[in-house]
Amino acid sequence: MNRHSQQQDAVHAITRRHFFRDCGVGLGKIALASLLCGRAASANLNNPLAPRPAHFPAKAKRIIYLFMAGAPSQLDLFDNKPVLKQYDGKPIPEEIVKDQRYAFIQRDAALMASRFSFAKHGQSGAELSEMLPHLATVVDDIAIVRSVTTSQFNHAPAQIFMNTGSPQLGRPSMGAWVTYGLGSDAADLPGFVVLATGEGSSGGANNWGCGFMPTVYQGVPFRSEGDAILNVSSPQGIDAAMQRDSLDLIGKLNRRHLEVHGDPEIATRINSYEMAYRMQTSAPELMDLSGESPETLAQYGVEPGKASFAKNCLLARRLIERGVRFVNVYHGGWDHHSDVAGGLKAQCGATDQATAALLTDLKQRGLLDETLVVWGGEFGRTPMVESSAALGRSLGRDHHPQAFTMWMAGGGIKAGHTLGSTDDLGFNITERPVHVHDIQATILHLLGLEHTRLTYRFKGRDFRLTDVFGNLVPELIA
Amino acid sequence: MSHYIFARLPGSALRCTLAALAVCVASRADAPEGGWVRNPVDTFVLDSMRQHGVSPSPEADRYTLVRRAHLDLLGLPPSPTEVEAFVNDPDPQAYDKLIDRLLASPHYGERMAVRWLDAARYADTNGYEKDRPRPVWPYRDWVIRAFNDNMPFDRFVIEQLAGDLLPGATEAQRVATGFLRNSMHNEEGGVDAEEFRYEAMVDRTNTVSTVFLGLTMACAQCHSHKYDPLTQREYFQFYAFLNNTDDVEMEVHDAAVAKERDALETKIAALVEELPNRFPAGEMQGETSAAHLVRKFAAWEGEVASRAAHWTALDPVEFTSKYHATLVRMPDQSILVKGDVPNTDTYEVSYRANLAGITAIRIEVLPDPSLPNGGPGRGVIMSPGGDFLLSEIAATDAPWLQPDQVQQVTLQNATEDFAAEGRAAQFALDGKLDTGWSIKGQEGKPHAAVFEFAAPVTHEGGTLLRLKLDQYYVHQHTIGRFRVSVTSAPLPVKASGVPSDIESIVLTPQAERSAEQSEQLKRYYLSIAPELTEAHKEIEAMRASMPRMPRTLVLEERETPRVTHIQHRGEFLQPREAVTPGVPAVLNSLPAEAPPNRLTLARWLVSEENPLTARVTVNRFWDMLFGRGIVPTPEDFGTRGEEPSHPELLDWLAVEFERSGWDVKAMLRLIMTSAAYRQSSRITPELLASDPSNEWLARCPRVRVEAEFIRDIALSASGLLSAKMGGPSVKPPLPEGAMSLVYPGDPWTVAEGEDRYRRGVYTYWKRTLPYPTAMVFDAAARDTTCVRRIRSNTPLQALTMLNDAQMMEASRAMAQRVLQEAPADMPSRIAYAFMLALSRPPDADEQTWITDFYEQQRARFDSGQSDATVIFVTDTPAEDTTERAAWTLICRALLNTDEAITKQ
Repeated sequence: MNRHSQQQDAVHAITRRHFFRDCGVGLGKIALASLLCGRAASANLNNPLAPRPAHFPAKAKRIIYLFMAGAPSQLDLFDNKPVLKQYDGKPIPEEIVKDQRYAFIQRDAALMASRFSFAKHGQSGAELSEMLPHLATVVDDIAIVRSVTTSQFNHAPAQIFMNTGSPQLGRPSMGAWVTYGLGSDAADLPGFVVLATGEGSSGGANNWGCGFMPTVYQGVPFRSEGDAILNVSSPQGIDAAMQRDSLDLIGKLNRRHLEVHGDPEIATRINSYEMAYRMQTSAPELMDLSGESPETLAQYGVEPGKASFAKNCLLARRLIERGVRFVNVYHGGWDHHSDVAGGLKAQCGATDQATAALLTDLKQRGLLDETLVVWGGEFGRTPMVESSAALGRSLGRDHHPQAFTMWMAGGGIKAGHTLGSTDDLGFNITERPVHVHDIQATILHLLGLEHTRLTYRFKGRDFRLTDVFGNLVPELIA
Repeated sequence: MSHYIFARLPGSALRCTLAALAVCVASRADAPEGGWVRNPVDTFVLDSMRQHGVSPSPEADRYTLVRRAHLDLLGLPPSPTEVEAFVNDPDPQAYDKLIDRLLASPHYGERMAVRWLDAARYADTNGYEKDRPRPVWPYRDWVIRAFNDNMPFDRFVIEQLAGDLLPGATEAQRVATGFLRNSMHNEEGGVDAEEFRYEAMVDRTNTVSTVFLGLTMACAQCHSHKYDPLTQREYFQFYAFLNNTDDVEMEVHDAAVAKERDALETKIAALVEELPNRFPAGEMQGETSAAHLVRKFAAWEGEVASRAAHWTALDPVEFTSKYHATLVRMPDQSILVKGDVPNTDTYEVSYRANLAGITAIRIEVLPDPSLPNGGPGRGVIMSPGGDFLLSEIAATDAPWLQPDQVQQVTLQNATEDFAAEGRAAQFALDGKLDTGWSIKGQEGKPHAAVFEFAAPVTHEGGTLLRLKLDQYYVHQHTIGRFRVSVTSAPLPVKASGVPSDIESIVLTPQAERSAEQSEQLKRYYLSIAPELTEAHKEIEAMRASMPRMPRTLVLEERETPRVTHIQHRGEFLQPREAVTPGVPAVLNSLPAEAPPNRLTLARWLVSEENPLTARVTVNRFWDMLFGRGIVPTPEDFGTRGEEPSHPELLDWLAVEFERSGWDVKAMLRLIMTSAAYRQSSRITPELLASDPSNEWLARCPRVRVEAEFIRDIALSASGLLSAKMGGPSVKPPLPEGAMSLVYPGDPWTVAEGEDRYRRGVYTYWKRTLPYPTAMVFDAAARDTTCVRRIRSNTPLQALTMLNDAQMMEASRAMAQRVLQEAPADMPSRIAYAFMLALSRPPDADEQTWITDFYEQQRARFDSGQSDATVIFVTDTPAEDTTERAAWTLICRALLNTDEAITKQ
């Protein structure tokens, strides 16, 4: 009968079948009574987000994924191509582009060199463009992969692919997989939190969805202004005492019903309400930056009262400190079909300082060792220029799935390492291709999860984040 | 261990048709009734209880029964009156009458639709980045109506899969094909439309196999199924049935709209009739309005005549779309484009021209009601609708009799009647694909561009003229309808600036014109005369205000079949061997004589030989009523699915379903009038010990209701719920800030009036932002088919119930109701509030708790500790705000109980 994996059992914790299997049949009133005692009892019983051991010991306990939606240009930030200068304005050789599909540009588009200068930084000597002066100061803490490749060349499918392992909608996202696999240490906050700034992301809620998994594994979007979580504030006029009175009354009614009906699902409901009540306190506390020093705020570039990527980076650190397992920070606005130089100035201006500050801050607090930080978009951008009179575009770059750059830092990462390379034009990978599924497998591995073992049964199939693909990238692991 | 379905499906004499099943299970069902057994369902259930050492629970009390039946069949709680009526009904048939009454309620269809629309992955937007709205709600209304009319389920299946192919298909039968159209559609700029069409066909294949067969055929897209006997070839053979459609929109007749349109047309006709009378008097002394009109008309005609040329419309002989749009030759020699809407396209069209000395061609782009905004283009993104961009035009000629002797025609001196700024027709000759001719700003009207030949073309025996029309604006800006004509008029030849029929009348000597032509010419002049600009504005405004007929997404079978290939590893870019439609060998075979099309597939699904469709369907009904299917994995009846708890019961129900003529209401009645269904749902320690998961049904399950019904229940208890049925989806309030996380698209304009309080089934479903408070309660995302909802129990649900503005609004309205409708004493009010929220009277403790809570809260208000007017917000200050605020809090608490949102 039982073909479920261990993880799948955890999911069934929300069904009464599992409740009674785990808690021992016949506990009866004792089990129920302990359930009603609130927090202590609620931690493990009947809680699908209870922390679970990893497949194997790992350094990284948590992850902050900085998702640069829209796809930043690797050629203007990380992958320096001096040869492109010679070819600037000349058509790309036909043998390179044959059989490639493009979103907007024509095959015979001219090549375009980066308008930015590059320099080597840190002990590692990693090369970065002048657009990333702050990242340059922490470059020895990151591992750069210049040879990431994807199979999707449009935003929505590529973002969903990067996040769920499939370009089709309906699969669980990486954050869902990780919280499903590891649970969460956050007692009073969701295990998987999403923050977003800039233009919205093309993939929308599917980027942090739970697919066919229960909704407890879905990413919970936190807003950086107003209520962090939808409906986390009591309705107008209902103060804490009145809310407490109301919860007590609801609790009494529910407990009476539990006595009569004996359904443990009612006990779970009671616990959910108590957790909700605690979230009403913990969420505002999370958002309250008054305890942060002026130096810290300045380091990130946070302007109080203003939503920004910087503020989200700081909130990401605060979430991690509170035991949240997966923080997904989205920043949209990198889709530079026109004026790639101007677009990058704006977006790097909005993100570079805070990104570097996040790494520094985590390190200073001793959190970087157990936190994995990932930075990247959904694909790269072409070495060819995009221009179109019909669309009013010039000096842009089109979507480029063949090769792009990501970096990782923190728990278990071989800091200061640069992996992979592309040809002289930055068109194709020449060394160490790393597919999206390999990135996913590696992220899971760094968190102590073996990607082939982290499965979920749905419609008769054991699904994985990496589908049937994915290989670990050992070069990235310390 | 192999699964029972496949265990019963060997390719042997035991092949299990429904008819064969009937024989297998009939003897079992014939067991005598009596004692606990109310109908044959109980025979099977009791039997398995005995085998597993459990015994039935007593029947639930009447309060529980009436609420259970209402929630299961309507998704709404009973009103206090309905509760009292049932509880006090002395008729021994009271329960059966209740079920009949509920099955006859129009809300029954709404309830059933919620589950079916999950299976159909119904949504109001296309999905992916752009996630534009799509009109398909008439399909949703079709589903609701079909359930309410108790359409036999076999017909229900056939019409949704192939209603368009039924002989003499009705409008409703075509609307039903929206079922397959609910696939997502990627309109992101720069996508390969073919690739996402492939994904849509895969989605349709997977949907049909999951919904009707309970098979995980999706596994066989990339390789033959690892566990079930389904090969990859069979996957694409099944796919081939669905791969020959054009995705089109159709107008749905709406009598009210038609009436309004007719009234406006009459008014417009009257205004048009008036135009000559509104023509101003002349500027010359004494020139009357009539004389002025005659003079200006003549001058205009002369001016048009000076530009006009004799054109000969050409009959297209061959026409293709590079990206699979369907081109159709129309009686007026134009080509109408329908079906797939690729981002870019190239049309290649061949004509036979018998004219000698061709000096120019004219491309007319024509409006058509099937096109967005009336056309002439197909653009909808970055356009009000109806725009196109003709990037490049090229022509070749050859003698008709020697078609291989192709020569390039040099086109020059393009002119047009209208072009958007910087988008003149001349740009279609500049060799650049990112420039061209566009009529943006003048959509909905006919336009024309004329291209001169550098040298005249003549061929003995006629000319084979081939045109290539490149349309490379990436956002679907392709031409929707066009006609090509040639002339031999001496150069220069220019666009006349008037429609072609007017141009040809002008060139007809007055004496030879028919009265109708003269009238048409005059009417046209009056419609453009600058002297009548004011009058034109009035007419235009009236036209613009004309309501449109609703439209809906439907299927149309293609005349030119598409070829289906096995896609290696399931990948779009790797087509291999071609296959023809077919069904998996492990299942019943297709009737030999039937054409291999969707209609045959649909009929095959519900044929008596098919062992799966009836089982899968009754299993889903069971899942809906018992919170768990007899096969607990309704999406997978294969070897990897879970074993059925009551295999023979499932078989018997399937046989019974088919025998009843696929009567859905009869099936639900059968299950709901069983003793098994009528049991109490209390979980005793003994039941906990013996059957914690309730597999053997020794009690009725307790199940939290579906997401949509949570809000419906609150709105219903409060009296806010609108009973309005059908129509476009509505946008109830959205939690603040929810839109900020998605790609900027159509705004969420909150509905006003009763549309704010419609049932959840009518909530606008935006795929990149599925209604957040519904998603919290495990609503299906509707991206792909879903035949089983997960039920979770989370803190976010608690936050929604406690704090969501709509829940507060419902609590306030319910408080008003309690204060207005119940007797004024505290116990009566409490009893009424319980009846509204929970459909039962409170017990003594509950009375005490509520009373205590009430006094506690009143004290807060009275002492000024809390402000009642903030809680009970009202436009007009009421005298008893404090009372109302206190009751608002009570109602909120009641609506927040587990019991309020649980069917038990």
